[in-house]
Amino acid sequence: MLTAVPICDGHDSAINTINLEFVRHGMEVIYLGYHRPARDIVRAAIQEDAVAIGLSSYNGGHVEFFAEVLALLKEGGAPDIGLFGGGGGTITEADARVMRRQGVDAIFFAGTPMAQMVEFVRRTYGKARKRPARCFSKRPPGTDRELGRLLTAAAMNTEAGVAQLHSSEKRTVPLTIGITGPGGAGKTTLIDEFVLRFLKARPSGRLAILSHDPSLVSTGALLGDRAAMLHAQDDRVFLRSLGTSGRAGGLSPATECCLEVLRRCAFEVILIETAGSGQEAMPFSRDLVDKAVLVMSPDYGSRLQLQKIVMLDVADVVVVNKADRPGAKTAAAEIEPRLRLNGRAQQLLCTMAKKHRDPGVDELFGLLTS
Amino acid sequence: MSILASVSEAVGAHHRFVEEQVQRARTDGPFREQLLERWRQIRAGVGTITTPTGLKVERLALPQTDDPGAIARYLHGEGLPGAFPFVNAAYQSMYLETPEEEGRSSDSRAPLAEEPTRLFAGFGLAEDTNERFHYLTRHQKSIRLSTAFDGPTLYGLDSDADGVFGKIGEGGVAIDTVDDMERLYAGFALDDEHFSVSMTINGPAPILLAMYLAAAKRRFGPEIVPRLRGTTQADILKEVQAQNEIIFPLDDSLRFLTDMVEFTTVHMPRWYPISISGYHIAEAGATPVQQAAFTLSNAFTYAELFRQRGLDVNRFGPRLSFFLDCGLDLEYLALARVCRKIWAIGMRDVFGAETRAQLLKLHTQTSGRSLIAQEFRNNLTRTAIELLLAYVNATNSCHSNSADEPFTTPDEENVRLAAHAQAILLEESGLFKHVMNGLSGSPGMKMVEQAVERALLEEFRELDQLGGVLAAIEHRYQRSQIQSAAYRYEQQIGNGARPIIGLNRYAGGAAKMPAVKVVRTSRARKQHQVERLKKFKRRHRAQAEPALLQLTDVVQRGGNVFAQLIDTVEHCSLGQITARLHEVVGRYRPTV
Repeated sequence: MLTAVPICDGHDSAINTINLEFVRHGMEVIYLGYHRPARDIVRAAIQEDAVAIGLSSYNGGHVEFFAEVLALLKEGGAPDIGLFGGGGGTITEADARVMRRQGVDAIFFAGTPMAQMVEFVRRTYGKARKRPARCFSKRPPGTDRELGRLLTAAAMNTEAGVAQLHSSEKRTVPLTIGITGPGGAGKTTLIDEFVLRFLKARPSGRLAILSHDPSLVSTGALLGDRAAMLHAQDDRVFLRSLGTSGRAGGLSPATECCLEVLRRCAFEVILIETAGSGQEAMPFSRDLVDKAVLVMSPDYGSRLQLQKIVMLDVADVVVVNKADRPGAKTAAAEIEPRLRLNGRAQQLLCTMAKKHRDPGVDELFGLLTS
Repeated sequence: MSILASVSEAVGAHHRFVEEQVQRARTDGPFREQLLERWRQIRAGVGTITTPTGLKVERLALPQTDDPGAIARYLHGEGLPGAFPFVNAAYQSMYLETPEEEGRSSDSRAPLAEEPTRLFAGFGLAEDTNERFHYLTRHQKSIRLSTAFDGPTLYGLDSDADGVFGKIGEGGVAIDTVDDMERLYAGFALDDEHFSVSMTINGPAPILLAMYLAAAKRRFGPEIVPRLRGTTQADILKEVQAQNEIIFPLDDSLRFLTDMVEFTTVHMPRWYPISISGYHIAEAGATPVQQAAFTLSNAFTYAELFRQRGLDVNRFGPRLSFFLDCGLDLEYLALARVCRKIWAIGMRDVFGAETRAQLLKLHTQTSGRSLIAQEFRNNLTRTAIELLLAYVNATNSCHSNSADEPFTTPDEENVRLAAHAQAILLEESGLFKHVMNGLSGSPGMKMVEQAVERALLEEFRELDQLGGVLAAIEHRYQRSQIQSAAYRYEQQIGNGARPIIGLNRYAGGAAKMPAVKVVRTSRARKQHQVERLKKFKRRHRAQAEPALLQLTDVVQRGGNVFAQLIDTVEHCSLGQITARLHEVVGRYRPTV
């Protein structure tokens, strides 16, 4: 399910609480954040192949906004994606009648017990999806809708899917970049800034992102990377969120299969963002990605800590992000000799991804795409 | 060590000072005599009044004690109303009616020196809100307008932006240009000393204030600038923590804000450039202590920033104001008292501010979150209790919510009921108009005060350990704390641990929404706003780009952006300006 708060609305208290409640009941929730235009919401729902969209609207204009979402779903070939929402007392009974007539599945009013919402979602959208037999088609998917569906199929049949995909012939060779690092190092921000530069440098190219968030097997998960992205909300970007399903290393059992599907599409670059990883993690095998990037923040701890980070030996590029923080210089100075010792021409860069037009990110973009 | 650690230390030092005074009063003979003499003089100086029922009472309630230690603790630890550390009140007499007022007849009614009632309004287009303002203030001599803006304006977008049409004029007034701003306050004497305006705007606050300035200059000439009275909310830190209406990256937002504060401090001495707000923090789900702690820590962070800019604490300090939520939880019995004290100590002992800059001037609003749609007339009772708590805490001004607010922009009847609740409390009931501090200082209140203060300083320590407010924001500390509190609150409602009458206890019937008439902006009105914005853009087509280039140059050179905006708004719309600033400094990246 995908949840969001409409454009010009920052009231996220209700949706944050509801997200947690849905997750607690075993649902996988992709949260897009607040102040989101209908176009971004629908694009995300289609790319994520969500079963439904839940909107929390407190700032008025809901009748028009929900109608816009429905129209865009239809336009995107996804009229079957459900839509429900609420807005405390700001949505009246009369509004709700209009909205339901337009095709909204349900509107919840102030004071609705959360259990009732959970029950509604289960009953309406909870039917198990049929496991598709094949997860690739003869021709590459022509729309985000088809691709979104295909990725769901791929994720559901991982082993068979990989075998099928390996045996199928057609394959473009997009540049695949893996990005990993501990939680809080700024991977998502860095990727979003990478996207901005990509969109400027390639006026018509498309880019795909596989974004991983931690989750456990058969429990709920909150996938929130999209909420912190500004530039990746673009028709030329295809972003798919994956839960790790308890797998160590920050990738999902479905990653490889999804990647194979994406490689059959017309993307110039594919980015794989791992969930926040630990020191021992080594998520990327050599053949999975073309380039592996390790993103760190200066506060990794002591030099001793550094010794244990396995990825330092495997990454092609090591980025010390948050370079404005105290300790950034020391960090770079401590990492540099380690890389030199490896003798693999690994690159070390300092970035401030949160800064607008950071030259460090420019350099990283150049390095990765050259 | 962050500024918060210094404040905590100063509070600790103040406590030690008070206890020393208490000890001396008990052990040092001449000191005791001096103190008792002072106390006698204070008591003798309190006037008396005869109430309409003929009861003769003192005008100020003081502790009934002759114990020198207790007297010392009261005078130094709480202070008389209007005396450091201002626990009882920022000013000496607050809501007291003067004897002349008490005898006046209804038709000769003059306004109170400072009517504490504020009326919040904003819907539709500028003319619609203007009309509402005139309706609300037709019997008032002192006019204090409080303005709500619609979603697109709050996010710095124009009414013709993609995907915002439905939001035009909903929940607030649509302002795109300086022309709209002129329409909004048309017919009001902006130069009158009894007029003030407050604007609930944050992310684009400098642009909106620049429009206000430019519109005022059009009508009254440049000499109006130093006479303008009012408030911009402009509290960007609480936006990041709770309300999510920040549009530029935090560092740039703080720079634009500081530019604005620098300008108003020098050129608009009667303006309150920033209203440091806990209200939205509390409405987003924070506990009362979190509200107070985050608000005060934000305030000290601003003071530090302005000081670093080279501004004089004694000039900007008195122009900082505060805005807190008042709900039904026990903490509200003393929350504002604690806030006044910590602010006063911090400003005096850490920032070296003089008295005027030590005062926490407080606007309170009753809790919107405590109101519910079911059996909504109960909201009148909730609001009345909250009002009582707010005034017991000596708020300087107050807004009372309308009972119908859980489902709509309030209608006229409900606005009137809410405003009258305040009048009933202050003017009709005898609780506040005859006696100062009539309800302050009960043992229960003192106990709550101490518990709140301890919890608040504990929160300061946590923030300090994270490296202060700005570093804590990067760790999304405040957000995650507020979100957990919100989740807990909902669970408590769900499991009945937090009774809400008419909702999870004594629920009368089906949970049906009352049929109310909702104030909405028609399609035609929205279309009208879009059309006239397009006209504005056509009319200024030639001048817009040069104006934006000049603005860009000031941003890049590090000049005062606010001063430049006053010119920019003459030719550019809100959306044009924010779009250009986004190009130069980027966008705010939301945190979940």
